[in-house]
Order: sequence, then C-alpha cells, then structure tokens
Amino acid sequence: RIDILNEGGFRSDGRRQYELRAMSFDSAPQAGADGSARVSHGLTEVLVSVFGPREARTRAQTLHDRAVLHVEASIAPFSTGDRRRRGRGDKRVQELAATLKATFEPVVQTALYPRAQIDVVVHVLQQDGGVLPAAVNATTLALANAGVPLADFVCAVAGGVHAAAPLLDLTALEEADLPHATLACMPRSGRLTLVSMETRLHVDRFEEIVRLAGEAGAVIHAEMRAAVRERTKGLLDAMGAGLRPARAAVDDDAVVEDE
Amino acid sequence: MAFRSLSKSEKAYIQASLQAKSPLRGDGRAPHEFRTVVLETGAVALANGSARVNIGRAADESTGGTEVLAAAKLEVEDIGAGKDGVDGGRIACTVSCSPAAYPHLANAALDDLQHDYTAIVHDVLAHASLRPPGLGIVPGRKAWLLTLDLMVLSDAGGVYDALFVAARAALWDTRVPKTRAVEYRPGRGSRGEGDMDVDAETQSGLDTRQLTDVAADFELEDYWDEGPVLGGRDMWPVSITLNLFPGVHFLDATSQEEAATPLRLLLVYSFAAKSAPALQGMHLLGTGDIDLTRIKSLVKDGEKYALEMYTALNTKLKDEDIRRTNKAQQKFSASR
Repeated sequence: RIDILNEGGFRSDGRRQYELRAMSFDSAPQAGADGSARVSHGLTEVLVSVFGPREARTRAQTLHDRAVLHVEASIAPFSTGDRRRRGRGDKRVQELAATLKATFEPVVQTALYPRAQIDVVVHVLQQDGGVLPAAVNATTLALANAGVPLADFVCAVAGGVHAAAPLLDLTALEEADLPHATLACMPRSGRLTLVSMETRLHVDRFEEIVRLAGEAGAVIHAEMRAAVRERTKGLLDAMGAGLRPARAAVDDDAVVEDE
Repeated sequence: MAFRSLSKSEKAYIQASLQAKSPLRGDGRAPHEFRTVVLETGAVALANGSARVNIGRAADESTGGTEVLAAAKLEVEDIGAGKDGVDGGRIACTVSCSPAAYPHLANAALDDLQHDYTAIVHDVLAHASLRPPGLGIVPGRKAWLLTLDLMVLSDAGGVYDALFVAARAALWDTRVPKTRAVEYRPGRGSRGEGDMDVDAETQSGLDTRQLTDVAADFELEDYWDEGPVLGGRDMWPVSITLNLFPGVHFLDATSQEEAATPLRLLLVYSFAAKSAPALQGMHLLGTGDIDLTRIKSLVKDGEKYALEMYTALNTKLKDEDIRRTNKAQQKFSASR
C-alpha cells in the first residue's frame, strides 16, 4: 500500500507537501521550427515546436485583423507504462490542443500579425502526471524562443487535496486518487488564464489551491526567465562572434608601393 | 525542411552537377558519402528498447537533419483461435510523422505519408524470416507482441534510411523480461482422511463448466530486472536509398536533392551472422522508369554500401552499450 502523504509529511516519491518536482527547461532548437522547448516536470516530458507567425496555409482560415493560433497535440504511444496509441482525432488529444489554444489566445499578441498563422505542435514524450501544466510551460517557452510577442509568461501547475492537506505538482499516482485542478497564471499581473478541473473539489479547499498555485507560478516563472536569458545570451554571443574579425582585418591591409 | 517544389532550373542545376565528370553536391560531399549520423540508444526510459537517430545535424548547431525516435514496447498477448497472437511472438511497427516535420502538409496528407512509411517498414520487419528467438512465453498459449513505434520528428531527406537505422538500434537495445511458465493443477481423486468420512465429490452431469486440467500462465522471474537482450541482434536490417539519375546514382540525398530526383531505389539488406546477405525489401519510389540491367548492377552496389553502413552501425551500437553500462557503474559507485 502506498501512502499519498505519510505521518512524516513525505509523499510517495519522497517530496514534501508543497515541493515541486525537478524541472528542466531545454531550449535546444528543433529542426525547422522557429522556436522550440522541451520541458520536463519530473518524469513528464513535453516537446513543443512553434512555427510562425507566417502566411496561413489556407486563406479561408485567416482573420483580417489578427493572427490565428493553431495548436496540434500528439501523445506518443510509448509515453505511458502501457502502450496506448492515440490517433489525431482522439478526444483527449483534441481536448489538450483546445485547452492550450484557449489558454494562449489572450496571451499571444495576435493583433500585430493580421492574416497570419502561428502553429504550435505539442509532443508528449513521457507521462507521469501533470501533462497539461508541462505542456503550458513548454508552449510559453517555445513561443518566447520563437520571438512571438507575449503579454507575459504563462506558468502552470497542478494542485490537489489529500485529507484537507493541499499538495502541489502531482504525479500520476496522486492524480488518480486525489481531486485536483490545473491552474495557469501570468506571474506579473497575477491573472489566471487556465483553470481546469475534472474531479470534485470542495469549495473551501479551492481558494487555498489557487493561492498556492500563484506562489508556485512565481517560482516557475523565475526558472523560465533564467532559461530564456541563457538562450538569449547564447544567441548574443553567436552574433558578437561574427563581428570580431572585421576589426582585425583593418590592420592587415597590405600597402602596395611603387618600386 | 522538406522542399517539395523546386523550380525547373534548380532541378536542372542539381542534376547537371551530379552528372558532371567530377560530380558536385551542394554541401561538398562525394556522391556515395553519408552525412553525419548521431545515434543514441536508451532515449525513452519507459520503453523496453529505444533509440534516437539524427542524420545530417550540422556540427556547430544542435539543429537540422532528419530525426527519428524509435521505441519498442513489449506486451503479452494470447494465442488461439480468434486472437492475434502467434506462437513464438510477433513484431508490429507503426510510423507516425510529426506535423513539425512536414509543416506544409495538411492532416490528411500527413496521414497518407504515415501510412506509406508504416507499410514499408512493417512489411520488412514483421516478416517471418526476421522473427527473433525468445519472444515466446508459454508455448501455444501466450507470447510477446513487440510493438515498434517510430516517430519522425524532422525531415531533411533520407527518411527511409533514418527509419531503418533507428529501428535496428531500438531492436538491438531491446531487453525481454525473463518469464517462468507456471502451471496450476487442481486436486483430483479421493482424499483419504482418517478422522472424517468425506464423500468424494461427484461430477454432476449438469455441470457444463470446462475444467481445464492445466491452467497455463507465467510469472516474471524478477520484477526489477529488465532481462536479457533480445536475440537475433545481427539480423535486423539496414536500408540504403539509391537516388537515380540517368547514368549516375548517389546516396543520402538532402531534401532539395530528393525533390530533384525523379526515381529512387530503396534496398533493405539483412546481414545475419551465419548466412549470406539477404535482400529483405526492395521498393522503386517516384516517377520515372529504369531498365532491368541497371537494377541488377544497382542491387550489387547497394549491397556494398549497406555492408559499410552495417559495420559502422554495429561499431556505434557496441560503443553505446559500453557507454551505458559504464555510466551505470560510475553512477552506482559514486552513490556508494
């Protein structure tokens, strides 16, 4: 029998009550994409590639005054312990894509790119609970890497309740047993763009979860900013490297004298 | 990036430079030279065997090239009438293309492309001649189903070669958990108990339950042990795509070169240890035609190139095995 939260205050994977899993934000460029990010929350790994803003594939799907945000999700068959193949039309996959689109519609400054299309491709490579928060964080990072203007970062985390004790960042084991909600907030303004809950959560506990999710969002925000800053620094170094030889060439001019 | 449409002059330019006396390619390679292949096994922690292959990644960037992720997972299935299982186990392959790899294709076209790749890879790898030993569990009742999922994450030309290299690497890496067959024999016959007189149970004629003598099942010998490596490592095939122009052929085309080539010959070879090289699959792709004598010479050349690819791949796979065992040992000794 596995305890969700034991007497010592430790969870089944050794974390404390409010402790988040080890997160990694990898901005390594993916071939062909304008921006990409691979985010892992513990064992959950999501890879997102962003294309655009660019000319829309079909003129009929464009909007005259802003860009269209198009999200496609796919869950790898080997992402869970048991192999499960989910096609593109699967309801869970489409729900994930629709939720991400609704989350980022107010955040991406689409009014700057009329008649354009921004494509977001989400791959879930490994699942261990917290797929939606990981996908939201990865999409934020990928959009930032692609240079798409955003109103703010969107930081998401899942919170649940076990015997009146709130828990943050749930694994698959905890998600199966506990009522939980996924919340995504914009850290600077404190506004929520995503509140998603599929279980039954008592209304008294909900306020606590929202407050905790805001604090966790601030922590994730700091980490994501560090990741973006590191990537930008790498790009600046690469740009600066091209300028250096020009100065050296001036001294090497050969002077031709008439003899 | 896949260039599906090139202008006529671009196509003529590529063709002319390859048919010249000293052939030239856009990136300076020789016609029979491959791009850099980056291979990593064990890319997916949850799978029984996995590999990630990238052909043509530029050395200074970590981007570009054709990238394929392969993962093999084992499931148990029943053998019998109406069930899918085959005595001795079977292999099934699926290929899925990421929309990120083909951003210009609509969903329906992407599905068609996936289906094409799946058909070619599955027909080769699921064939009875490549069935590995050790996929059976309980003879006649239960066997392993090995599902190989390949994901094309980006396409810069040479997808078939990348798919088969990834498939071979993932199958090389696969470990099959050890199982032990367990039999259950229900007690029968009279029980001679001294103290009490117990009537022997009589079988009622109205009892229509089928009581099988032996309920055959299996158990895992060790839950945490990944098991021995899947047998038949040397027989997994490698593929070579020969891109054909009239009079000349070249290997490992970039996406522009692929768009300029009207005809491609895909050859899949298996070099099992104790037998002659076997041609496991042959496909002529694209528009255009070719005569028989040319095919014969191409098949011979293809075998030569495939053998080079096979030897190079084996060296890398053995290196990967050593790297992962050493890494595990170092981690273990560091934590003690």
